[in-house]
Amino acid sequence: MAGRPRGTGEDRKRDFLLTAGVILGSLIVLNLPPGSKRTARLFLRETVLSPLLGINGAITRMRERALDFDVLRAQMDSVTGLVAAARTLAEENRRLREALALKERERHRVRAVTVIRTGTPGAESVFLLDAGSEDGVRAFNAVATEAGLLGQVQEVFSGRAVAFDWSHRDFRASAMTPDGRAHGLVEAVRGGFREQDRLILRGTAYLSDLSPGEELVTSGRGGTFPRGIRIGWITGPAETSAGWSRSYHVDPAVYPGAATHALVYLSRVAEPATVEPDSAASGGQTDPR
Amino acid sequence: MNLRVFLLCTGLVVTHLLLHVALGLGKAAPDLAIVALLLASRALGSAGGAATGFVLGLLEDAFSVGSFGANVFAMSLTGAVAARTRELFVGDSIRFLAVFLVLGKWGRDLLVWVVSDPAGRVPFNDAALMEGPLLALYAAGAGLLARLLFARGPLSR
Repeated sequence: MAGRPRGTGEDRKRDFLLTAGVILGSLIVLNLPPGSKRTARLFLRETVLSPLLGINGAITRMRERALDFDVLRAQMDSVTGLVAAARTLAEENRRLREALALKERERHRVRAVTVIRTGTPGAESVFLLDAGSEDGVRAFNAVATEAGLLGQVQEVFSGRAVAFDWSHRDFRASAMTPDGRAHGLVEAVRGGFREQDRLILRGTAYLSDLSPGEELVTSGRGGTFPRGIRIGWITGPAETSAGWSRSYHVDPAVYPGAATHALVYLSRVAEPATVEPDSAASGGQTDPR
Repeated sequence: MNLRVFLLCTGLVVTHLLLHVALGLGKAAPDLAIVALLLASRALGSAGGAATGFVLGLLEDAFSVGSFGANVFAMSLTGAVAARTRELFVGDSIRFLAVFLVLGKWGRDLLVWVVSDPAGRVPFNDAALMEGPLLALYAAGAGLLARLLFARGPLSR
């Protein structure tokens, strides 16, 4: 195949300089400070891509509403049963705490949100939430679904927040067994292929022998995640550290790709926990229950 | 660039954004942005190709928390290099176009992998040897289909 003749020397020089300028510009963008990158991302999301994100959120909400009524009914019946059983338990617990002079357990205000995922490269472990700073969402708030811990808020803007799920390399959560027998730190580990990514519990005491199927919940240590959110179940031992500690593989409670609706744990409150519904789904009304 | 190619490339970019951002289909949908860039670059020249890649890369990076700018750089460079191919290869035969699209997409994904944050990128096996070729074939197939359906005739100016 023969090539196409190039333009005049002047044209070629101008073309080369312009190309070099654009490539240089792209290198500058790649090396911008984190604050400038954050501003640029926000600008793009709130201008050019805003209508597309609106469509994504609307489709996600429509998908939620198309859930089988019988399934929802069964879930509600289960929750009603649990709440009824817990009423007397809560009173007993309060009396016992009073008797032992223990302070009240921490409660969190909770905000219902829609999880918006985009399929662009580089956004594999990242999702958007349709609630922002005016809803009380703050960076590092926990995000959970009815099944368990999904991830953590990272950036908060007006009306929207960016969060990452447990498969992100920076995800860490202090964990324990529900009976408090073993404590450790849960993090994501990359496999040879993306499908081999999994959670691992590190730093448990060498003598705390955990068997497959044991549940793990957040321990609340460090104050980032509230205590008691389910993380997953032990699947088997991973490694031991010369008689000092053990690590275990963990089967996650939540598969991030399947999450469409979640709860953000907001600030701690003294009164009983409330749930604020997703504003976009309820026409902007808040209905603390 | 003639109107036919402009409309084809604009349509591909809009469809790409709808499939990836509005519907969130991820890798289930072909990468039509790179197809649009490769086709446009052959008509625009290296400066135009690089500038188009820069803009498309910015849109792709809007959701990238870990490696903002990786797509901008990779798309700009791919656009510039793709434009230079018209000085080496004349004609828009289906066979040439298929190879051009596969190599363009694969090369761009490799560039993104190289400049992405090492702590957060997908393992090399996965990116370059498993997913890369398959995604490149998928994008090339979609690009050829679009080309045959909507833009018969030569693409280069």
